[in-house]
Parts: sequence; C-alpha cells; structure tokens
Amino acid sequence: MRRVAIVGIGHGKFGVRSDASLRELAFEAVKACLDDAGITLNEVDSMVTGIAGDEFALSLQPSAQVHDYIGFYPKPNFRVEGACATGSMALRTGYMNIASGLADVVLVVGVEKMTEVPTPVATEIMGKAGDSIWEYPFGTTFPGYYAMIANAHMAEYGTTEEQLAMVAVKNHYYGSLNPYAHMQKVIDLQKALTSFTVAYPLKLFDCSLITDGAAAVMIASEERAKAISKKPVWIVGTGLATDTLRLGDRTSLTSIPAAREAARIAYKMAGVGPSDIDVATVHDCFTIAEIVAYEDLGFCEKGEGGKLIEAKETYLGGRIPVNVDGGLKSKGHPIGATGVSMAVEITKQLRGEAGERQVKGAEIGLAHNVGGTGQVVAVHIFRRE
Amino acid sequence: MEFKNFSLNISQTKVSRFIDELAAGKFMATVCRRCGRKYYPPQADCTRCMESDMEWEEIPTEGKIVTFTKIHVPPEHFGIPQPLMPFSSVIFEPCPIGLIEVEGGLKIMGWIPKMDIKKIKVGMKMKASSFTLPNGKLTIVLEPI
Repeated sequence: MRRVAIVGIGHGKFGVRSDASLRELAFEAVKACLDDAGITLNEVDSMVTGIAGDEFALSLQPSAQVHDYIGFYPKPNFRVEGACATGSMALRTGYMNIASGLADVVLVVGVEKMTEVPTPVATEIMGKAGDSIWEYPFGTTFPGYYAMIANAHMAEYGTTEEQLAMVAVKNHYYGSLNPYAHMQKVIDLQKALTSFTVAYPLKLFDCSLITDGAAAVMIASEERAKAISKKPVWIVGTGLATDTLRLGDRTSLTSIPAAREAARIAYKMAGVGPSDIDVATVHDCFTIAEIVAYEDLGFCEKGEGGKLIEAKETYLGGRIPVNVDGGLKSKGHPIGATGVSMAVEITKQLRGEAGERQVKGAEIGLAHNVGGTGQVVAVHIFRRE
Repeated sequence: MEFKNFSLNISQTKVSRFIDELAAGKFMATVCRRCGRKYYPPQADCTRCMESDMEWEEIPTEGKIVTFTKIHVPPEHFGIPQPLMPFSSVIFEPCPIGLIEVEGGLKIMGWIPKMDIKKIKVGMKMKASSFTLPNGKLTIVLEPI
C-alpha cells in the first residue's frame, strides 16, 4: 500500500448555524482546506463526502448538493455513512483511494446540518440509530443508550456522577479556548452536577450538542504530499471494527468492544502502543463515552477511566491529553463532520499550530470515532516526520 | 395482530408471529434447527449458518437486570403536546426502562413502570411480561420479583 498524508485542513465554525445551509457549511470548510493546502480543485482527483443523515438533510442525496456547490463535476464523489463515525469512515475511504493508487489527491469533507429540524425530531432521528424495530418501541434515545452504559459502568466499577461531570468541566474549558467550538463556555463541577437529567444518570452537561458544522482534510500520496506540504501529517494506522446493532447483544455493556478491536488494528498497523500517543481526540458524545474510551484505547486499565480524569491525567500536561479541542461535548457534534474535525485537530497538534491548546512536541496523535452506540468504530493514528 | 402495534415503525417482517405469541403472554425466540443458536429478539434467518431453517421456542422470562435508565427528554414520538391553557405546563414523569438477562444469556428490554429509578440496582431479579396499553399497542414490562 502507498503511504498517505494529510496536506491540508479546513474547519468551519461549529454551532447553531441558522445562517447557513448544508452545502454552504461544506463550502466554508472546503475553501479553508484548499487555502491551507495551497492547491486548487483542479489538482484534486476525487472527493469523499461524509454526511450521516438524510433525515437531517431533508434530502435523498445530500452529498450531491455539496459536490455540486463546490463544482467538482465530472470527478468522482463518494458519500459515506456510519452514523457518528461517518467522518472517520470518509477519511478511511479517502485513504483507500490513495493507498490503492486509484487517486493521488483526495478531498475528504464531513458535514451535518442538524438544526433544520426541531430538537424533538433530532432526538428521534438519533434514537433510531439503535435498533429502530426492537429497541425504539421503548422510547430509546441516544442519551438513553449511553445512560445504560453509564449505569452498567457505575455498578461494575464504582464510577461516579462526579467523575462524569469532571469530563464535562475539562472539555468545556478547552472548548472555551477553541474559536471553532459551538459552546465556548467554562463550567464548574457544581453547574454540571445540578443541570437537569436528560437520561438518568446523564445530565445536560454530560451530553454533546446538536450542532451544525463542517470540516475538511486534503490527503495525498507520498510523492504529491511532499510537493504540496512542508509539514505533511502521515496516516500511519487505520482501524475499523463493527459490532451488534443492539446494546443487549454485546459482549460488554461497560465498554465499546468495536473500539477495542479498531484500536488494536490501528496500533498494530502503526507499530505503536497506547503509551506512545502524545495527544488524542476521543468520541465524547457523552461524558461516560470519554471514560470508556480511555479504557478501550488502553490509556488506563479497565474500570480506571473515572480515576484517570479525577487525577487530571487527560488535561494538557497530564499523561495523555484528551480532547483539548473541547471534544464533541463543547466543540459540538455535527455527526458527519466530527471524525474529520478530529483529524483536523490532530493535524494542528502535530504541526504545532494549536496555540494555547498545544501539546508540546506532539509527534503521534490518535482519533477515536464511534458510530451509533458502537455498531462501528474507527481509530486513526497520525504521525509527523 | 399487526406487527406495528409493537414495533411502532414497521409492519412487514417474517417474524410477526412474535407479537401474536406476546399478546398471549409468551416470550418466543427463534432457534436454528441446524446449529441450535437462539435469537431473541427473533430472527427469521440464522446469522451463524446463513440458513433459514428456524423454529419457535418459548424462553424464560425471569432474570437479572443488567442495566437501566430513565429518559427524561423523549423522542418526538413519545413526547407530550403543550397544554392549550396559557401560563400552564404539563409535568412529565417518564417511566424507566431496563434490560434483563435471562437463562441462556438472552436479554429482554422492557418498561419498568412500578419502580423509583433510585431503587433500581444492577443485578436485581425481575420478570418480563407482556402488557397491552390503553391505545391497544402491545409492549413489555419488567417487574421486580
């Protein structure tokens, strides 16, 4: 397989973007990405668009809107979907295009416009990311699924609501330093703990946000990467794994088994282990998900995730800084864009361009992106030279 | 009975017998005649054999709760309309849901209408039974035993 590097990044402002449509959001990220790479679309061979929900886009072929709006015809465009892991699956699809020799330069765009529908409808659409026949009749929602993971984790390992809230406090702090974040607001433990319950035991501040936004990365073959970029960031590991549709059929309710498998594959491919990772973005759609991610990625032992945040080991200066861009929690979670946004953040970190959120001297970064309740998980490992 | 009375979403499936049995109080799984793998919720096809030679079998309904929650912000389908009277509000008290594991490792999801969420503990013994709601829909409830 050929080597693949990120040679350009673009990120739009995340938030309730009532000023912009799906295609306009995508344009912002694509434009920024082209500027960063210093190339034009004429030099791009192919495009991958990650959009998770036709229901959100109110359209059958939303990626055609994006493709048309940037005027990429007649070149190929692939639409990729994997619920909340859509963005990372788009990155992997782009990677496959280049690694196989089918293309030399590929534009990967992730975008979601979630606030065009009212919140109860968005809640319903997200809830149906579980089993819409056998689980949904019990009123399941996305927070509901993760609340069930939280209750199982708390019962098994003694994880506390305070520890969950500590994840929110950390991610809001870093989100306040990220100009692209949806919610740039610092919160304290008390505020998180006294917010209203969304799905017991998860409270408002345990939950990520319903967000509009887009992110884009330009990826290239080794030869083109070296010509385009002075600081290419290499994709050295890509792991993708899947699991059962229903939570009840999983081998574990206290972890995301597909994340463990995706991480194992990615670490092996990259030839590194958890202790080699300098900075990570993990899928904190809910605070419990970040704690479970620490464990699934091997940043701590099983059941010790709550203690890891309590010891502040995932802050800047800690053993393994996690989600120092604010995470889904505070940066926002436009589901198709999230995985691409993670790649943008890690690229910034490895190029040393993350400003006051910079992990000093970061060489190796990891992005962990969970689709649905863990039906599909992508883990990518990135490295600078 | 129409399958949609249970699923709320779809009406067409090969395993619609499930809800006729459920209406009669029976929890039925499908079992692969070739490899013996049991499916609850039932499947018309065996994932392991890639064959479709299945039979129906009643499963136990008593087990231990493995996890639970109470969803305070419901999807639109389960939401409540705003009251018509100005300056008034409807208080929404949702019902907890849970997942019990019965003999053989199968898991049954259901509503837990009779318990305070704070009193539900992982590991508690519960029994699943079918329940017909006032609107005629068929569902599953879990009760402590």
